[in-house]
Amino acid sequence: MLVFTRKRNEAIVIGDGIEVVVLRAARDVVKLGVNAPANVAVHRREIYDLIRRENASAARPPEEIDRWISQLARGPRPGRRESPR
Amino acid sequence: MRHRSGGAPVRSSSERPHAALPRPDGAWPGEPPGARPDGDEPRPEDVIAFPDGLPGFEACRRFVLLSSSELAPFSVLRALDPPAPAFLLIDPVAVLARYRRVLAEADRRRLQADDQDALLWLAIVSVGGDRSASVNLRAPIVINPRLMIGCQVMPHESLYPLRHPLTL
Repeated sequence: MLVFTRKRNEAIVIGDGIEVVVLRAARDVVKLGVNAPANVAVHRREIYDLIRRENASAARPPEEIDRWISQLARGPRPGRRESPR
Repeated sequence: MRHRSGGAPVRSSSERPHAALPRPDGAWPGEPPGARPDGDEPRPEDVIAFPDGLPGFEACRRFVLLSSSELAPFSVLRALDPPAPAFLLIDPVAVLARYRRVLAEADRRRLQADDQDALLWLAIVSVGGDRSASVNLRAPIVINPRLMIGCQVMPHESLYPLRHPLTL
């Protein structure tokens, strides 16, 4: 990991067009400003990790969805009346 | 804004799931395309590009959206890239009637959407082992059907929970 020591209002530049500025620093809290192109997603790590974990638990292997679809296609949905064919 | 509720606009009741996106002329596909259970290659026009993948599945850049009357009100988002995860989706408005679709400017640009584009909003359903289910209203999938670009949006501030209980 690259480590920088920065003072207030000093910045680092990442790649082409991403800038991280230290706006304020207290004992346990640092306030950062991020300037990035509009198509670059910037997220708090813990939010991203939360959504990552939720996606991982929601993801199903394709075979399971296949099975599920074919079961649905075969029988009537629970709680829904079967339409006459 | 033109939007079909239920997330699964379907006209026929074929046993095969259909791609759920309208064609550029606004018509819905009439024949079953997409990645089908028999492993056929999807038609190129049914592939949705997710330039950033999904959180946790960053390498999955190509998806198809499947829908059928048997699946309704759900649809299925299936990745074409390994490990090929599939997700059950539902229209967030079907889950929470007062759900507001608010897109940040940065996300609008990621989707290359202009004001005229009718975007498709879908929330990921997570089914637990005890048959309980929840819906991720915090980070919905948004698709621009005109350009077939999608992303999962993660607003910095959101009114909605990561696990909204699903009752239908």
